Amino acid sequence: MNRQTKVWLVLSIALSLLVLGSACGGGAPTNKESADAGASGAAQAYSGATGTISGVISYNGTPPAPKKIDTTADAVCGQKNPNLMTDDTIVKDGKLANTFVYIKEGSVEGGKKIGEYAWTTPTTEVQLDQNGCHYAPHVLGVMVNQKLKITNSDATQHNIHPTPKLNTEWNQTQANGAPPIEKSFTRAEQLIPVKCNQHPWMKAYIGVMKHPFFKVSNDTGAYEISGVPPGTYTVVAWREGGANGEEKTMQVTVPASGSAKADFAFGAATTSTKPSLQMMPAIEFPMLHKR
Amino acid sequence: MNRGLNRFAIFVACATFFLIIAGALVTSNDAGLATPDWPLSNGQVFPKMVGNLFWEHGHRMVATTVGMLTIVLTIYILSKEKRSWVRKLGIFALLAVIAQGLLGGLTVKLMLPLAVSTAHATLAQLFFCTTVSLAVFTSRSWIEARPLEEEKATLPLRYICTAALVTIFLQLIIGATLRHSATWDQHLPTELILAHIGGALAVTIALGSASLAVLRRHKDEVFLTRPALFALVLLIVQLSLGIAAYVTRLASPSDPQPLNPMISITVAHVACGALVFVSTIVLTLRTYRVLPARPALRESFLQDYGIGQDVHVKS
Repeated sequence: MNRQTKVWLVLSIALSLLVLGSACGGGAPTNKESADAGASGAAQAYSGATGTISGVISYNGTPPAPKKIDTTADAVCGQKNPNLMTDDTIVKDGKLANTFVYIKEGSVEGGKKIGEYAWTTPTTEVQLDQNGCHYAPHVLGVMVNQKLKITNSDATQHNIHPTPKLNTEWNQTQANGAPPIEKSFTRAEQLIPVKCNQHPWMKAYIGVMKHPFFKVSNDTGAYEISGVPPGTYTVVAWREGGANGEEKTMQVTVPASGSAKADFAFGAATTSTKPSLQMMPAIEFPMLHKR
Repeated sequence: MNRGLNRFAIFVACATFFLIIAGALVTSNDAGLATPDWPLSNGQVFPKMVGNLFWEHGHRMVATTVGMLTIVLTIYILSKEKRSWVRKLGIFALLAVIAQGLLGGLTVKLMLPLAVSTAHATLAQLFFCTTVSLAVFTSRSWIEARPLEEEKATLPLRYICTAALVTIFLQLIIGATLRHSATWDQHLPTELILAHIGGALAVTIALGSASLAVLRRHKDEVFLTRPALFALVLLIVQLSLGIAAYVTRLASPSDPQPLNPMISITVAHVACGALVFVSTIVLTLRTYRVLPARPALRESFLQDYGIGQDVHVKS
């Protein structure tokens, strides 16, 4: 090896190590990410009469049939959950479960915009369990900085990987029998897809909100958001589907100490609005769809 | 010529091809982040290979093997090979495999950023090209090749083949970018699909022209016609696989998980693309070996490249 070759060799190795070192540095939260937490500190808390928003999510037409999941890649999954099916569209008697309903924007009667108040983050944690190689619940909501407790009830290891656009992405393995993983999100974001990189069929969605006015529809398609200050709001119902999910919006007026109704319908013969925040900004194929 | 060295170089090239297939399986199964750490997998050298960890850790094991083989190949070349440019290429292969390993680690630690994943896929092809080139340079047919006459007033074949090679390489970069721009459950970006289709057209024209020119001008020279025919047949297979990959990938986002035939067809498309690339490299290198840049400059060409020293030039 001549001198020139040796110099190039040393330089290449040094450069490679430098690049690798920078990659292993980890990701500290940026100033931008901590903005939501900081903003709520200076805002005023709401104290006054409250009402509720409730409704039912319907599904028109025949829902897509659940698909069988092939769990042969991990025998533990097949043993614990031999009939594992997709759960992206759960419809019972025409009512749709797992729809995330939330107040997107609007103003409190005679007051400020709902996002300008300080809303207390609950000290209770929200649980996301991995059971039978399946996330439970499939759709959930947390407030900014609220603790999310991830548990593994399976006899196999999982890998939890949220892919947010605004929050910090992370990817962590949880072995069977390992203690719960506790995480939180520092910025509001609707909705963050969560996947398991070891079992690619496992998917969940997390809505992260600055305020507590959100709910996920239950098995009967019903939901109720309580403690809502009187005012006029844009209420959004989001459900999984397509590249970015599917959304419906509705203007709702909540009277003081009263209740407002907001029913939504998905499925055939309904028109959807595009999601306000893109979950996965993919582009459709022009040959089959319009962009 | 050292027959043992040539056979070992061929073996390393075959192992590299297998590594490309293993890497493609990782992407098609969406297994790139099955473990968040690197170089260990979930903190272990040999983890329980369940689920997608089978593909990711399997790829790492094959890559480690190829890395070891490349170290041995470089030492073998440095100890047996007299030609300084072949020795340098051996060292380049070693550096390339080290860089490739580090890029693989970066893709995991940075959670598959498009630029790094694409660079990893592209360097894989370049490394394969290097190991195949080493196999070519150490072969008997290369060392004993005799210069041929090129037709006058025609565009030299070496330039036509080089153009095809560059076109294929650019197409490989577009393909790698397309492949890593969206996981199986997302739709692929339209712009990249159109660019890849345009690239396929360009490759068909460039490689088709090069191969047909070789077959027309030097139909009796197996040294040239064999890689030309091989490249041409592979190109046809690759185009068919490309259409099949597009169709299966189109349906993939509505599947509950990555399924066959999407996995097998996309992996075959990557593997066949690599074979088209290396067969064109073999063809191009051989045109440089036996055909002059310009007929009038044949003698200076032999001197410039120093490859005529061990060759009996036809008078």
